[in-house]
Amino acid sequence: MTNHWIDIKNSDCILIMGSNAAENHPISFKYVTQAMDKGAKLINVDPRFTRTSSKADIYTALRSGTDIAFLGGMIKYILDNDLYNKEYTAAYTNAPFIVGKSYGFEDGLFSGYQKNEEGPSLGSYDKSKWAFEMDDKGVPKMDRTLTHEQCVFQLLKTHYKRYDLDTVSKVTGTPKEDLLTVYKTYAATGKRDKAGTIMYAMGWTQHTVGTQNIRTMAMIQLLLGNMGMAGGGVNALRGESNVQGSTDHCLLWHIWPGYLKTPRASNDSLDAYNAKWTPKTNDPLSANWWSNYPKYSVSLLKSFFGEAATPSNQFGYNWLPKVDDNGVYSWFDLFDAMYKEEIKGFFAWGQNPACSGSNASKIRKAMENLDWMVNVNLFDNETGSFWKGPGTDASKIKTEVFMLPAAVSVEKEGSITNSGRWMQWRYQGPKPLGDSRPDGDIIMELGHRIKEAYKTSSGVFKEPIVNLKWDYDTNGVYDPHKAAKEINGYFTRDITIKDKLYKKGTLVPSFAFLQADGSTSSGNWLYCNSYTEKGNMAARRSQKDAANNIGLYPEFAWCWPVNRRIIYNRASVDPKGRPWDEKDWVIKFAGKEVGGKYVSNKWLGDVPDGGWYPLENPDGSKRADAKQPFIMQKHGHGQIFGPGRADGPFPEHYEPLECPVEKNYFSSRMISPTAAVYSTKADSHATCDPRFPFVGTTYRVSEHWQTGLMTRPQEWLMELQPNMFVEMSEELAKLRGIKNGERVNVSSARASVECTAMVTKRFKPFTIGYSTVHQVGIPWHYGWRWPSTGTEESANLLTPPAGDPNTRIPETKAFMVNVTKL
Amino acid sequence: MSKSIFIDTSICTACRACQVACKQWHDLPAETTKNMGSFQNPPDLSFSTYKLVRMTEEMINGRLEWLFFPDQCRHCVDAPCLETAFDETAIYRDPATGAILYTRNTKQLDADEIIGSCPYNIPRKAADGTLGKCDMCNDRVRNGLKPACVTACPTGAMTFGDRDEILASANKRLEKVRQKFPKAMLLDPNEVNVIYLVAFDPKLYSEYAVASADRGGLSRGVALRKMMGPFAKLLKV
Amino acid sequence: MELNRRDFIKISGATAAGVAVSGLGFDLSQVKSHASMLKTQYAKETTTICCYCAVGCGAIVHTSKRGDGRVINIEGDPDHVINRGSLCSKGSALKQLTENENRLTEPMYRAPYSDKWQTVSWDWALEKITDRVKKTRDMTFEKTNAKGQTVNRTTRIASLGSAAMDNEECWIYQSLMRSLGLVYIEHQARI
Repeated sequence: MTNHWIDIKNSDCILIMGSNAAENHPISFKYVTQAMDKGAKLINVDPRFTRTSSKADIYTALRSGTDIAFLGGMIKYILDNDLYNKEYTAAYTNAPFIVGKSYGFEDGLFSGYQKNEEGPSLGSYDKSKWAFEMDDKGVPKMDRTLTHEQCVFQLLKTHYKRYDLDTVSKVTGTPKEDLLTVYKTYAATGKRDKAGTIMYAMGWTQHTVGTQNIRTMAMIQLLLGNMGMAGGGVNALRGESNVQGSTDHCLLWHIWPGYLKTPRASNDSLDAYNAKWTPKTNDPLSANWWSNYPKYSVSLLKSFFGEAATPSNQFGYNWLPKVDDNGVYSWFDLFDAMYKEEIKGFFAWGQNPACSGSNASKIRKAMENLDWMVNVNLFDNETGSFWKGPGTDASKIKTEVFMLPAAVSVEKEGSITNSGRWMQWRYQGPKPLGDSRPDGDIIMELGHRIKEAYKTSSGVFKEPIVNLKWDYDTNGVYDPHKAAKEINGYFTRDITIKDKLYKKGTLVPSFAFLQADGSTSSGNWLYCNSYTEKGNMAARRSQKDAANNIGLYPEFAWCWPVNRRIIYNRASVDPKGRPWDEKDWVIKFAGKEVGGKYVSNKWLGDVPDGGWYPLENPDGSKRADAKQPFIMQKHGHGQIFGPGRADGPFPEHYEPLECPVEKNYFSSRMISPTAAVYSTKADSHATCDPRFPFVGTTYRVSEHWQTGLMTRPQEWLMELQPNMFVEMSEELAKLRGIKNGERVNVSSARASVECTAMVTKRFKPFTIGYSTVHQVGIPWHYGWRWPSTGTEESANLLTPPAGDPNTRIPETKAFMVNVTKL
Repeated sequence: MSKSIFIDTSICTACRACQVACKQWHDLPAETTKNMGSFQNPPDLSFSTYKLVRMTEEMINGRLEWLFFPDQCRHCVDAPCLETAFDETAIYRDPATGAILYTRNTKQLDADEIIGSCPYNIPRKAADGTLGKCDMCNDRVRNGLKPACVTACPTGAMTFGDRDEILASANKRLEKVRQKFPKAMLLDPNEVNVIYLVAFDPKLYSEYAVASADRGGLSRGVALRKMMGPFAKLLKV
Repeated sequence: MELNRRDFIKISGATAAGVAVSGLGFDLSQVKSHASMLKTQYAKETTTICCYCAVGCGAIVHTSKRGDGRVINIEGDPDHVINRGSLCSKGSALKQLTENENRLTEPMYRAPYSDKWQTVSWDWALEKITDRVKKTRDMTFEKTNAKGQTVNRTTRIASLGSAAMDNEECWIYQSLMRSLGLVYIEHQARI
């Protein structure tokens, strides 16, 4: 979230699309309800009428996988009707940037495309073709009047010209009048003092166009001037209690803690690595925050290796693993490698891939190829016990499995970070049940043993292991405070910064103090400021709101970065530093003014996104000591044109890998030309195949969570949602002779799963093009281990082997199925 | 002063926190259920389910409405069950809160008669005949806490307080809700301490959303007993 | 004469705030739920953040100070500025997540080709895991890739996990995995 949960109450229009907030983030509705009580409109767009829809002012359905068409139509509507915030768009976004002549788009392809014969990626782009034109100082050329024919704004207009109501309706199945109502209502937040927000989740990410779904909305938010505003922003609701924190700390192949890059093989020295990943700008008005990259990377290495990290050994840089320059090691690729017998050992720590991964049959089969697996969890699960799952023969499976019992969150101490980036501390209630242990204790103990093994016997490339800083325990027991302090970071020697002495061993006050010379450590620069000499910021409990009274609660818990509750908040003020919205202001400039010029610097409200002066003085003159608001972007502007994405600088509608239509009404391209599609014999798919005539989608329900592992072994929650089910329209039920409540089979090109039919008015057939398309929905909460009947299986047995080109997140929200009576 | 609960169904999202919070606080066992083609589960109130969110799908004025009704004991101002039982060791009213409370002695009552007397069809019997239903979390309320279901409610669909304050806020809320749903109404506000606001015809939410004419009231036998009873007046607190 | 409760209150002079149990005609201990004492009254009170979705709701955990030291009650924290005491159905069931007979309480091991779990000690399990990690790593470690570039890694061990861990646990976990040379490090955020 760029904003945070409480901030939803400040919104004038809430669009819930790609999520089902009432069911999957129920407490968010406290704030949706408060906003509505003050007159905000709630719009919900979802293939199925949900508990969220039941509360919406405007509900309409779209066929799964057509969000870009839907939102592209909104962009066209905003531009055609001049509803964008002109001042904001011209000043803060890259709409004025001039794009080079080598950019082009024709029939679904951007310039620079190259097909890939080897897979899994279908193709790739030479992104240099989309570069901006630079002036002689190396600053992007701009036309703030937005009229230059090669400026982003004009290219945007051209790109979305094709997204007219007729075509959008034909693709999405959404009636034209509904499209208009949604567009008109949401676009009304383009007024300078209005803010609209988007609440999305996996309904947008789990597509082969997932990243671009979100980009389309981000572009709308920029055009309407909703970024940085109270009640605005782009808000990913996120599914797990600490998925924000685990992402920040980068339990991901491609990034290191704090979103630093995992080194590529060609980054053969620390200097080369820093040079490669530190963006450069020649624009004095661009903060280009990532120019601090080396301070963060070196401080991280100091946290990894402590005293052993020195300038002479490049702070241990080469002790850490490198990935191949064009290698991809994502979830899909991991299991693809495991399936191909390329992986021998596997940690499945606090998750259940046998049910959560797309095309789960392949995952279950792949695990048979392992020599050993370590499975850490609260409950026995389909992953740890895969060798006795349906259709397996234990006597033929070699894998050794270690199943370790973990403690529940209330049995341990530590912090988690919510979607609003709030890091919150929690305490131990009861002791761990039986002989279960907190994950931290298990990790610490395992680390000690591995280090000891390398210290006391021969081993390959011992340095990173023996030198790993591993002192996060007190009296032999894991101490979360020590780890939290390491994440914040220490001064590693006495240093003086701005005339102030900071003693060795004291905690760094914030990331502005981090250094690239090894004099500071920080396990994650984004969290530097979370645990300082003032104490554990995440444990704060003050009920006091900030001066703007918009629910920031700045002294309750702590949020990254530097306790800034709404990021990009410099865009919530006009270039003179005055809030667009006087009532629900986020920050405002309160420096002294003399003769039309600001002469002192002071901001009120939230922690500003950089405390520089506003871009302009009250008399309209430009300041040279100011910075553009989008400080994490190299050029300081919000990206309406996104030249860094793998699949194109503008979002374009493509069909899912498996779709019900033989034609894409926007181009002759069906699937995204850069999607990742896997192709072992366990990776079948079928599009426009009469055997699988219905669109399928997966989702969650309020009463279960993820694969259900933390809800299925619980009676109270099973009472509420006891069975795997499939929701379908009355029309489809009639077509198939299915009665409400009876068991049916749902099958895809990959598997078949038994479900209870829920025949409901909440699904309706779509008219796509000139034909009727039915869609069904299934929850992905079940698995054979719980309940003990073994009859309720995972929806992910059905889901397809395809993913987004940028993230490789699977396309579990749109695929093709059949539904038949048992 | 009696305590009351206001349930504004127009902002209920059927998250069913109330249903679980009730079981959690009372340590009530789960029922073994089956999906019968609806999200609503268990199918009905029971001796171990005091609170149940009823869910119905209705086409109203050409628009699909998914109606949610967190059903529970209304803690009647004049409670027919209490009068029917006519046994304060089994069914009584807590004078401090107005809650109608059932004890284990309900086992000795004619369960069907008690159930039949309830205009909202709330009490349910165990296998041994003991009756059970919502107790308004009387232990919590007496200790200054809100009932578990109200505490858990995310949207503020449920609020709790002194009867006159709750009535006032219910009426105020009704006015506001009517701007959007002109047919919105409060259900039997003068007769009950658990006051519902519904946006549409109450019968669409639940057969017994409002006091049923053919239920409740007192059978002749009960009326007679009541007339004869020496403490009849004392029953009204 | 049998006293009803109202008479009892009049006779004893008890206030409405407290109801005592006595032999006055009927046994109030039979009363199902009007206890004046909360079951949580003498429990240890700690705060937590819900472990399900990512809203980050606060909850209060009541743990028995006597007997088994287990959880008596978990409910929403009214002083938490996000949820203000409310929780969803899952959050309301946190007690049952904790006090659950289905939980794993001992390390278990499944031997190759075996059809059953056997209970093992932590010491044994961690020793064996250490051995497997070291053996696999040492046998498969790549100092350079096919192009001859320094990579110092193993692609033969993979890790998934976990958004269910605390921040501090995530951080030490990734540092351990990266120090071992793993590049297949993924978790829930990818799906």
